[in-house]
Amino acid sequence: MSARPQVSRAKGQLWPTLRRELATLWAFAVREYRMWQSYRVNQLMWLVNIFVTTLLFFLIGEMVKGQAARLLGPAYGNNYMSFIVVGVAINVFLYTNLADPYTRIARSYYNGTMDLLLLSPMSVFTPLFGFMTKSILDDYPRLFVVGAFGMLLFGAAFRFQYSLIAIGFTVLILASSFGIGMISASSFYLLNIKRGTEPVRFLVQGLLATLLAGTYYPVTVLPRPLQWLACLIPHTYAFDALRRLMDPGAELGGAVLPVQQALPWPPLLVDGLALGLMTLILVPLGLLLYGRGIEKARRDGTLTRWQ
Amino acid sequence: MTASQPVVELVDIGKTYPGTEPSLRGTKLETLGPALWLKKLGRALRLTAVSENAVQALEEVSLRIHPGEVFGILGANGSGKTTLVKIMAGLLAPSRGSGRVAGWSLHRTAEIRRRVSYVSTTGWMGLEWALTAEENVRFFARLCGMSGALAKERTDQALAAVGLLADRQKAVSALSNGMRQRVILARALLLRTPLVLLDEPTVGLDPVHRNEMLRLVREVLPARGQTVVLVDHQADALEGVLDRAAILAEGRVERLGTPGELVSALRQVRVLELLTRGGDMPAGPAPALVRQVVRTPRPGPLALTHWRIRVSEQPHALESVLVWLLSGGGEVVQVSERAPALADLFASSSLAAEAGA
Repeated sequence: MSARPQVSRAKGQLWPTLRRELATLWAFAVREYRMWQSYRVNQLMWLVNIFVTTLLFFLIGEMVKGQAARLLGPAYGNNYMSFIVVGVAINVFLYTNLADPYTRIARSYYNGTMDLLLLSPMSVFTPLFGFMTKSILDDYPRLFVVGAFGMLLFGAAFRFQYSLIAIGFTVLILASSFGIGMISASSFYLLNIKRGTEPVRFLVQGLLATLLAGTYYPVTVLPRPLQWLACLIPHTYAFDALRRLMDPGAELGGAVLPVQQALPWPPLLVDGLALGLMTLILVPLGLLLYGRGIEKARRDGTLTRWQ
Repeated sequence: MTASQPVVELVDIGKTYPGTEPSLRGTKLETLGPALWLKKLGRALRLTAVSENAVQALEEVSLRIHPGEVFGILGANGSGKTTLVKIMAGLLAPSRGSGRVAGWSLHRTAEIRRRVSYVSTTGWMGLEWALTAEENVRFFARLCGMSGALAKERTDQALAAVGLLADRQKAVSALSNGMRQRVILARALLLRTPLVLLDEPTVGLDPVHRNEMLRLVREVLPARGQTVVLVDHQADALEGVLDRAAILAEGRVERLGTPGELVSALRQVRVLELLTRGGDMPAGPAPALVRQVVRTPRPGPLALTHWRIRVSEQPHALESVLVWLLSGGGEVVQVSERAPALADLFASSSLAAEAGA
């Protein structure tokens, strides 16, 4: 009886395993791109959606720019369009990384592709990472397109001298929000929440991030206890860091968040450390819970839809 | 695993599903929704975790499947076939019992996954319908760790084997159901795994493609050294395909043996196939020699009804049945009598039990 040579694995062969997992992720990326491409109207809607979102905030910005600029304070400059464009772009970035794991797992479960993914010889975590390639494919271009719309059409201004640091921050933002996304996805199997509102996503994105993180206004307008609460989610640090780095009127120094005020380090360092710490905690926790969820579902018979 | 060791060895496997969760419809949980999740998360979890109506899907199933065999798992709907095959695939953990698949304990699911191909026609069959047949198959090849060149070569071979090379560039959504089933069989042909699990691979296929698929199962897979487990609830035409089969009823292995051995259990049964124009189920009791009646009205202007009647082998059985049948009205258009086949064995568990008595 012949075993498959392409999947044979000797213990300790870390590189071949890693290479195979990376090749699998690439296959996911190609598939996701092809699926996106196959619905041609998607491409148009994608651009229209970005344009309309940016336009909406431009109009709000026009209405309130004088007052809003005063609220931004020296740390975030005085251009509300720049402030809001960064907020909107990063919020979309965070939202998809946080929400996609659960929604993609659910979709795969209901259309039966989860059976296939769990039966292939890759790690049970690879599909989760594979789904995220779509987010990366979608989000990074979106980041630039939102920025471009904001700059070219709506009077937002950006500086690019700190672009490399900003890109580094987006990686931290992606990782930390994906950690929460994995915890959210684990509830699909661990708590058997297969319909309705997923509580982790609702709590973090629907409640805390929407109200407290400072997408549309600086956290300084909030009561002090809520400002501290805002410091519990990655969104707050993401907005703060990217605005400081990309807005030409913003300052790199000058503490805004309560945590920044409490610590003797530069605000950007605090942002980076907070996002890094959240990544270190949330990603392993997400992996642990998701793995537990898979095992529980395997015992309960809820791993795949069709029995 | 050596060549003499069974590819599948299951000992007293049992599976109990925890049961369905109670509906939240009309309860506070439904009306308060997310607010309650936050407010009373602990209570909500306890409430939703309450299980009722545990389902006993498998009970004391023991099987040994040998290398190179084409083994059938047959049974009526709900008999536990898919549960059993998902345990073999590592998608389900058994509640009781132990076993080995491809030389690995059932707990070693990662190892088992590398040695098992699983094809299921349920749901969307694991296909992305926006992608082409080729893209679907090649994606799976890449998931299984094949290089780009090898994935392309194997994809071409597999699509050619199932007769889909000319349609490779068509989106799955544009293919017929039978063609989609051939795409998923192509996916199974990609790999050279020791064990191939095929869950109802011929459902919905026309006779030509059904025979072609069964030929692939019978000739191609064993020739490559692969053991095949074929799950089906329609045993027509399987007798020439299977080396051995297990018949499941209510989660238990009711019979196990070669198709010939299994059918011989019904040697005192005859099957009458009748076609009538009009005619309802007779009001009077059936003759004592009638063991089972399956009545299937055929839609259309001719108002035909097909009857499959299994009877004990006795003189004048046909006459007795005709008299009884005509008492319900209508006229008989066609009559034929045949020896029982494999499908007749699990058409009714009561029939099988009676035959074995």
